[in-house]
Amino acid sequence: MELVFLAELAANGALTGLLYSLFAIGLVLIYKASSVPNLAQGGLTMVGAYIVLALARDIGLPLWVAIPLAAVVMFGFGMGIERVALRRLAGRPIVMILMMTLGIDIFLRGTTLAIWGGTSRSVELGVGYDPLFIGDVLISRIHLVGAAVALLLFVVFVLFFRSRLGIRLRAIADDYMASWSVGISVERGVGLSWGLASIVAVAAGVIWGEIQGVDQSLSLLLLKGLTVAVLGGLDSIFGAVLAGLILGILENVGSTYLDPFVGGGSRDLIVAAVLILTVMLRPHGLFGRQDIERV
Amino acid sequence: MTQAPDKEATNILSMNSVEVLYDNVMLAIKGVSIQVPKGGMVALLGSNGAGKSTTLKAISGLLKAERGRVSRGEISFDGTVITGLPAQRRVEMGICHVIEGRRVFEHLTPDENLEAAAPLSMNRATLKTEKQRIYEYFPRLAERKNSQAGYLSGGEQQMLAIGRALMTQPRLLMLDEPSLGLAPFLVAEIFSIIKKINKEEKLSVLLVEQNALAALEIVSDGYLIENGRVVMHDTAQALKANSDIQEFYLGGGSGTNFHDIKHYSRRKRWLS
Ligand SMILES: Nc1ncnc2c1ncn2[C@@H]1O[C@H](COP(=O)(O)OP(=O)(O)OP(=O)(O)O)[C@@H](O)[C@H]1O
Ligand SMILES: [Mg+2]
Repeated sequence: MELVFLAELAANGALTGLLYSLFAIGLVLIYKASSVPNLAQGGLTMVGAYIVLALARDIGLPLWVAIPLAAVVMFGFGMGIERVALRRLAGRPIVMILMMTLGIDIFLRGTTLAIWGGTSRSVELGVGYDPLFIGDVLISRIHLVGAAVALLLFVVFVLFFRSRLGIRLRAIADDYMASWSVGISVERGVGLSWGLASIVAVAAGVIWGEIQGVDQSLSLLLLKGLTVAVLGGLDSIFGAVLAGLILGILENVGSTYLDPFVGGGSRDLIVAAVLILTVMLRPHGLFGRQDIERV
Repeated sequence: MTQAPDKEATNILSMNSVEVLYDNVMLAIKGVSIQVPKGGMVALLGSNGAGKSTTLKAISGLLKAERGRVSRGEISFDGTVITGLPAQRRVEMGICHVIEGRRVFEHLTPDENLEAAAPLSMNRATLKTEKQRIYEYFPRLAERKNSQAGYLSGGEQQMLAIGRALMTQPRLLMLDEPSLGLAPFLVAEIFSIIKKINKEEKLSVLLVEQNALAALEIVSDGYLIENGRVVMHDTAQALKANSDIQEFYLGGGSGTNFHDIKHYSRRKRWLS
């Protein structure tokens, strides 16, 4: 009995963790190309969800049209943000760039509040909430769907980074000057990474929007997403997936056992501990790229 | 300052009285004129800080990334003025600059380094034969094509940087101190490969070097640049025979470079 309970905690933790990974993949894409931790990824996720809602609920398109269409819109939107707000900051100190992404996040929250108000709305994906048992373990269906989406995106991006375009993005991440010297457009590459991260934001926005409703609080996913990205190594997609699993399981299992002692709220403590310990003990994360020092 | 038409036909690169300003204040080169004949091999020699890299960056357009700009003069490539063009456009036209310090893409494999530099318009089949061509020039790279480039030896990285540049299908290859920090036998190996490519493919080469001895062995003529000005221009033979060059740049036997020399006497200014 006890073991089944533990398995259930771990399984659902793992699924939730993969949903963090889903979010974190967007962060990793931008970090890989430009070494910028995008503090606006939460805002992008929220906007992605709102656009799906606008297309599906307000205009009345079926979801299978609304979601891909939102992905296209957000791809352009992400590239636009890079073009308008970030490109001019190239070469400036990283704090300036960070502050810009923070500013964008706040701006996006304010804008969605002005347009759609602050009332939480549901995406109504139609996944269903009746319990799903795998063996004796109770699993949430929407979490299962979200985790599958996360794994799918993981595979897609792993393949993408082996393609010629993907190789070019990795080259840009390695060395801007060398990239320019062989005719690679660094600017377009970084723009592309913002576009792709915005598509990921639509996926994360739809799944998380279904779970907790669509409102401004979606942008707060950034905190857990960033923790997962840092633990995974910031520029490793595989790292983000593994770190999501680890954090999700730790958080779910750990909090169940710790909460009685601390009177609740241990989830956040566990997340904080993971983030702080990672930065202190393993700043490159589990799979982060280390600068190569040759002997 | 325009050239005679007959010269335009024979020179792939022609640089006329070019001045470069960094940050709008720092005048790094002060009226440099250089010609590279089609299919020719020319060396640009000079000591630390003379303005060699700046000259190459002015030609490749990489100056912009370092907040530099051509403030006077004109650069033309194969008869077209390129002074204001973006770097990417110049690569497409056939100018490739192997920058100082063999900056390979460290986290990519050599194979991926080559692919990254190939134009996206190149089809799969051509890409494969092009890579094959590079591996034939540099068999050492073929052996290590799937290991991480950051862990290659210095010589292998230099070969990779050159091979990567060749993937852009250049007509003018510019090399910035390819011999730096390499053992003499490696320098000889790399230089002989460059010479071979120059011969077989009629690829024009502009070679920046502090290692004058090695460079003058493979080029037809050379320029000497000091303090942002060309102070000497002659055939490689004449430069090797020149007593000042011998004293300052060739005197110390193999592997001599300019690190210790501060200034070359400007009295010897034959052409600028
Ligand atoms: N990005 C830059 N900003 C400002 N000044 C620069 C910059 N790059 C070079 N300079 C200056 O321009 C002058 C020429 O430098 P350059 O790098 O062209 O010399 P070099 O001949 O290539 O020297 P080295 O052999 O050391 O590579 C130097 O005085 C240098 O300090
Ligand atoms: Mg230099």
